[in-house]
Amino acid sequence: MNAYRRLFSGPLGAIAIAVALAALAMIVAGVSPIAGFSALFGGALGGTSNIAETLVQTTALLFPALGITLAFRGGLFNIGAEGQLLIGGLAAGAVGAHLHAPTAVAAVVLLGLGAIAGGVWGGLAGWMKAYFNANEIISTLMLNFVAAALASYLVVGPLRSPQATGAETAPLPHSAWLPLIVPDTRLSISILVAVALAFLLRFVLTRTIFGYELRAVGEAPEAARRNGVQMRRMTWLTLALSGAISGLGGATIVTGVMHTFNTELSPGYGFTAIAVALVGDLDPLWVCVAAFGFGILESGGLAMQAVAQVPKDAIHVIEGCIILILAARRYVATRTESAPV
Amino acid sequence: MMDFVHGALATLVLLTLVKSAPIVYAALGGVISERSGIVNIGLEGMMTGGAFAAVVASYATGNAAVGLVAGVAVGALLGFVLGYGATKFKVDQIVAGMGINLIASGGAAYGLVLLFNQPGASPQVHALGRWYWLLILFAFVCAFALHHVLYRTPWGLRVRACGENPRAVTSAGLDPLRFRLYAAVISGALAGLGGAFLSIGEVNIYSEGMTAGRGFIALAAVIFGRWTPWGATGAAVFFGFFEALQFVLQGRVAWLPSEAMQALPYLAALVALCGLVGKVRAPASDGVPY
Repeated sequence: MNAYRRLFSGPLGAIAIAVALAALAMIVAGVSPIAGFSALFGGALGGTSNIAETLVQTTALLFPALGITLAFRGGLFNIGAEGQLLIGGLAAGAVGAHLHAPTAVAAVVLLGLGAIAGGVWGGLAGWMKAYFNANEIISTLMLNFVAAALASYLVVGPLRSPQATGAETAPLPHSAWLPLIVPDTRLSISILVAVALAFLLRFVLTRTIFGYELRAVGEAPEAARRNGVQMRRMTWLTLALSGAISGLGGATIVTGVMHTFNTELSPGYGFTAIAVALVGDLDPLWVCVAAFGFGILESGGLAMQAVAQVPKDAIHVIEGCIILILAARRYVATRTESAPV
Repeated sequence: MMDFVHGALATLVLLTLVKSAPIVYAALGGVISERSGIVNIGLEGMMTGGAFAAVVASYATGNAAVGLVAGVAVGALLGFVLGYGATKFKVDQIVAGMGINLIASGGAAYGLVLLFNQPGASPQVHALGRWYWLLILFAFVCAFALHHVLYRTPWGLRVRACGENPRAVTSAGLDPLRFRLYAAVISGALAGLGGAFLSIGEVNIYSEGMTAGRGFIALAAVIFGRWTPWGATGAAVFFGFFEALQFVLQGRVAWLPSEAMQALPYLAALVALCGLVGKVRAPASDGVPY
């Protein structure tokens, strides 16, 4: 019951304000909110192909949002999902281009590689936090830019496909593409992976010793430490797992949607995913619902611009306002507490 | 060959100054807010807001000076949003800063379409012209002033105390939240000035993504400079130098990819964060609501 009250006082309140702001943005642009919203929702949910595209966006947001959820629940501020996505996609794209294997094998190998690469990227910040007490907020943020520079260097240089016009890796062979759920759309089975992962994450957080310890570290680090939780190990493991989930997401974008890798992989999914995780109240299943909501915004925004002439960037202002409003509810308890020893 | 070296060196020095100035402004903004106890991840957004507002105001009035004022004002306004949230509502400063970044970049893109009816970039407006050399100089004056204020005035002592131990400030009969709010507003104003420098100083348009992570580089400079005005300024110039070097070396030195220089500020901050170049200590109450 308490959980529902929390949800209504926070996220749903923020959504109500966001809807009001969206209406305002439409009025400022000289469009009636009715026309604006109907364009938005029509573009996102009208017809099979639009719904499929909304679910593609949902999936792209859901992976990093789940990764962020895990880290936040463990008391660690991971704002490096963007870089972890990119590195995961990079690993899948670099290897996938040369991988000729049956689809099932290729999918497992490439998604696994993406998860490992993202995990290493997240774990790096975790290692620096655990052994050098380097603030993970800053390190994950900085690693985003290092990831972007690394990916840009590789696709312009060593990994660039000679056939491609732009800076990108060679296309993945068809056998390495994730199977589509709905033909003639971009919706692949990755959404099933994402939702299954959300259930798994919820199970791990609420029903396993590891999940209990992780939440204990997040909610009462000092108590956890005194009760024998190995803080260093938890720190790097939490960030590595968080990065792995985002990296897996990056790999699904490459194998399911782009079928090649370039630096356009993410238009900021890793940052929007922070809002998704917060609106979902850091509960994996509600995060799925929130991701769908943000998926509607992302895919409906374009239609809103095309049909109703409301600039789609209004969507980002609304997302920012949601984040700002939800910031008033504190998520990570004692961030300055130095974790290790 | 010698001519090229001489020319390149002169270009490099001048370009370093030009590229450093906006980072210096934002980094000084970062120093003052963090010393007061407010982590400002929103520097990037405040720069974006300042850059866009400066262009809009200059376009509307035909006067670049008005643009400059508008850039500072919008930066200060965003700083106020962060500061007010952090003091009045005890918001999570990291989350709020991310929100400000999204609002600023989204708002500027929305405004571009709405006001100029063209996505991507604004039309050309009146720029500062020669005055922008003064603005570069002023960045270093600001560094000097901030150093003086923080270390030589009672007000600065109180601001620093707010970042270390706000309770001590309360017990001295002062309200730490007020100092933090002021510091956040000044922080935003400085970042906004840096943004305005980018749009109506260096060039004469606003184009989307023109801040290109300089707010985050400034954040790295604050850390690399160990939360002191001169340290952060030095780090900002150091990063500005590598940005300038990219331009000068463009395509000339094949073994040194430009991406390596783009990543450098962030790598430097990571190394500093790990304490590998001397002890690094953030203000004790940095980011902790009071």
